[in-house]
Amino acid sequence: MSLRLLLLLICISLSITSSLSSPSPADSPPYLWPLPAEFSFGNQTLSVDPAVALIVAGNGSGSPIVRAAFERYMGIIFKHASGRASLLSRLRFLRMVEYDITSLKIVVHSGSEELQLGVDESYTLMVSKKNEQSIVGAATIEANTVYGALRGLETFSQLCAFDYLTKSVQIYKAPWYIQDRPRFQYRGLLIDTSRHYLPIDVIKQIIESMSFAKLNVLHWHIVDEQSFPLEIPTYPNLWKGAYSRWERYTVEDASEIVRFAKMRGINVMAEVDVPGHAESWGTGYPDLWPSLTCREPLDVTKNFTFDVISGILADMRKIFPFELFHLGGDEVNTGCWKNTTHVKEWLQGRNFTTKDAYKYFVLRAQQIAISKNWTPVNWEETFSSFGKDLDPRTVVQNWLVSDICKNATAKGFRCIFSNQGYWYLDHLDVPWDEVYNTEPLHGINDHSHQKLVIGGEVCMWGETADTSVVLQTIWPRAAAAAERMWSTREAVSKGNITLTVLPRLHYFRCLLNNRGVPAAPVDNFYARRPPSGPGSCYAQ
Amino acid sequence: MRGRGAKIAGVLPLFTLLIAGAISAFDDIERLRIWPLPAEVKHGGRRMYLSDDFKLVTEGSKYGDKSGILKEGFDRMLSVVRLSHVVSGHRNSSGSGGSGLLQGVHVVISSSSTDELEYGADESYKLVVPSPEKPSYAHLEAKSVYGALHGLQTFSQLCHFNLKKKIIEILMTPWNITDQPRFSYRGLLIDTSRHYLPLPVIKKVIDSMTYAKLNVLHWHIVDTQSFPLEIPSYPKLWNGAYSSSQRYTIDDAAEIVNYAGRRGIHVLAEIDVPGHALSWGKGYPSLWPSKNCQEPLDVSSDFTFKVIDGILSDFSKIFKFKFVHLGGDEVNTTCWSATPRIAQWLQKHRMREDEAYQYFVLRAQKIAMSHGYEIINWEETFNNFGSELNPKTVVHNWLGTGVVERVTASGLRCIVSNQDKWYLDHIDAPWQGFYSNEPLQDIKDKKQQSLVLGGEVCMWGEHIDASDIEQTIWPRAAAAAERLWTPYAKLAKNPDKVTTRLAHFRCLLNQRGVAAAPLVGGGRVVPLEPGSCLAQ
Repeated sequence: MSLRLLLLLICISLSITSSLSSPSPADSPPYLWPLPAEFSFGNQTLSVDPAVALIVAGNGSGSPIVRAAFERYMGIIFKHASGRASLLSRLRFLRMVEYDITSLKIVVHSGSEELQLGVDESYTLMVSKKNEQSIVGAATIEANTVYGALRGLETFSQLCAFDYLTKSVQIYKAPWYIQDRPRFQYRGLLIDTSRHYLPIDVIKQIIESMSFAKLNVLHWHIVDEQSFPLEIPTYPNLWKGAYSRWERYTVEDASEIVRFAKMRGINVMAEVDVPGHAESWGTGYPDLWPSLTCREPLDVTKNFTFDVISGILADMRKIFPFELFHLGGDEVNTGCWKNTTHVKEWLQGRNFTTKDAYKYFVLRAQQIAISKNWTPVNWEETFSSFGKDLDPRTVVQNWLVSDICKNATAKGFRCIFSNQGYWYLDHLDVPWDEVYNTEPLHGINDHSHQKLVIGGEVCMWGETADTSVVLQTIWPRAAAAAERMWSTREAVSKGNITLTVLPRLHYFRCLLNNRGVPAAPVDNFYARRPPSGPGSCYAQ
Repeated sequence: MRGRGAKIAGVLPLFTLLIAGAISAFDDIERLRIWPLPAEVKHGGRRMYLSDDFKLVTEGSKYGDKSGILKEGFDRMLSVVRLSHVVSGHRNSSGSGGSGLLQGVHVVISSSSTDELEYGADESYKLVVPSPEKPSYAHLEAKSVYGALHGLQTFSQLCHFNLKKKIIEILMTPWNITDQPRFSYRGLLIDTSRHYLPLPVIKKVIDSMTYAKLNVLHWHIVDTQSFPLEIPSYPKLWNGAYSSSQRYTIDDAAEIVNYAGRRGIHVLAEIDVPGHALSWGKGYPSLWPSKNCQEPLDVSSDFTFKVIDGILSDFSKIFKFKFVHLGGDEVNTTCWSATPRIAQWLQKHRMREDEAYQYFVLRAQKIAMSHGYEIINWEETFNNFGSELNPKTVVHNWLGTGVVERVTASGLRCIVSNQDKWYLDHIDAPWQGFYSNEPLQDIKDKKQQSLVLGGEVCMWGEHIDASDIEQTIWPRAAAAAERLWTPYAKLAKNPDKVTTRLAHFRCLLNQRGVAAAPLVGGGRVVPLEPGSCLAQ
């Protein structure tokens, strides 16, 4: 509380200049992405000690997550050779230079490291010069959870810039006072390891890059009709459906990905897309196919089908602690059920239409997930086809129709927004501004309905995205959606975004490049195209 | 079971040797998933596992490894091998895993040489992975630590993840590999003037080069568009950078040289004078012939050569490679005659434009030599005044065919980079062309052959930035890397014969986090449809 008062004293009025065309953070702040909820700044330049000390406090002060993140960000902030690592420059400066920022204090109030949907990600970040009027000094991040502290560290790292004249890291426009929290609790990115296998190192690169844009859910579309790369100990033949023995994940690999993501405050939501996207399951267990010649959807008639689903979910439950689990349920073409004799007879015996059977399948799979203490997520067709029968806990994921979240929330369901016209990253002809301008709450006016939209997700479907192009297809457009989901609706909805947002997005894209993420040029109409000619990163 | 196993073990070695002989005889080398292919490979058909605490031992090695180059190389090898999957199974010498267990690599370096990365030094190595009768070590012998690094690289490609036991295994033991490069210069050019490449991106390119045993990073630092490097002697030069942050400090450059050097890679720095140097004038406009005619550099002014001297003097403190590249290509001299001051100077010195071009290049050569460098120049310098070039000049081919032949016939050394095959920015050039491009084409004379130092693939940066550099370089650079490494007799006459092995190497690059593109098509192709990495 006393901090607040103090901050009011050091607070300089918020003023964003309209010309943000220069790439120097010294000129026109804030070059922050996504834009924080509230911030103010001044006009001092502060130097940051390469040996900046971490001071932790609060119940969460012992967290290894905070400590590891601090080390990661020190590596990012002081990546130039004359930075943190260079003892020589340290000695050279020791006598001459006194740094303004010599410590970073991180206060974490909660000792819990549990990462779940809706975990408190808010933080306060203050950066000011040590002086007699200020007891704050240096830099302080205050958060309720370690995950809030991670978001604060990311913002802090974006305030730091290497100055090529003094060869030191500086923070411009101090003092800074930032109070920040996400607008949506679910800010996702889908990756698809069935159409193309993504090696573990690449998935880790993706996760790391997500944390730079404050995304917090990796939706792992593990399996589809093309391949089944994950080991399932209960049904060990399933990963025979992998493309090759090289293109597989062991249980330990998946756990490592979950652990790696958690260290960065990112949940992993696993998906098995049943019954319509599961042909590869039958490579190991052909009984799961209606017949050898008609292989999709999964055979609805057999208990074995549901035994396998149950086995998969039981094995996955040990790997994926996130409360949401995605059961797919989209694009179910029931032709094979109609055309396969034993399935047809089963339908007749129960007096089922194929649509009834589709519903039966999805609801039965939902109950399996719920029995494993999971909240089911399903693609929107399940809602459109038999919404009133879905378990009320279901989270509906939109992709096809623009008003699905409006309808689903009106019926009391929670919803995730992923409209394919704007937030499908494999649609290469959607430029950044269209991604940016897409509003998940569009057309939803009732406040209680708005609250049921838990967030949104950009989807990197893998048909034409493998290791060689996945990151540049994701970035920078995913960042446009990330700001839409993090920053306040007012902040992202006003003005001419070519003037107010584009320079900042250019800057963030170059920041990704500087951190080794191959984010593509912003200005190209088609995504992931090479730069059109020589030029500055900040102008392409 | 154990008794029976031991009994069989007594019989197997002979049997295995027979199989090894048979396989070698059938020359079934494409089944070996090694890229580039070693000079000589023999192998058996048995399996070994890497111990949990896989060790580096150096007893008997004359090399002290004071700065840890070997140890770091070993650690990198191990982490790369463990990158594909979490190793959760256990194997160690106590307990049941004794037989078939590989406890480490025993590296013996026979020369007591320093850490200095010397051009042309011995890069050979001999790698033996024993047969699995008893717990043992792989043996790696090399003349220099850099040869040993190549050996570790090869070793990493023998390792695979066993999906059942969840540990690292080596198949087809025993292995007996004797290897050395065919050419001493195996380069890759990057261009940080057309687009700035951040430090982590350059380091990743360097790491990926080691996987293909390339050994020269040709750093085309400056060109018309931007001047990103700090030059302490002329501190305004990097005013020509695209922006205040798209720059390299002198410490950054030293760090790149050091990073590459510890991986056995030389950094060849280039300033491309006088024709590709417009950006120099941003900080020092008097280097331009005039404000509206800004290239080539002003030949008439001593200041021009003072700046070159300052740059090369600063270079000599960080770029320790024996060569420096002085460019000299694509010099359009019209600005010289069009500028009255220079036209008068030409008249006074009775020089035509082309003579001034020669004068410029030769004077720059002398400056470079005064700083202890040997010079590399692009081929136009040879084509225009080859007989005047310093006899120690290395001519860098790019334009035409027949140049290599003429250069070596005149007694000069040569590097091959003919653009139709080895320019990576030609994205319609398929990997097969990269593979088939023979540096010694039509050169019969042994002495002339020995003057071809090697070759280089060029990643010009007009359309290349941090977002697409890796997939434009790889996998095509790998095709050239095998051409430059592997003995001529072992190279496939028909490149399609190596497709499976190259596809495998591309997937290996992917596994190591390198964004190598599919093989099918030209360069930087995207996959057209779902499918296995091995098939695209």
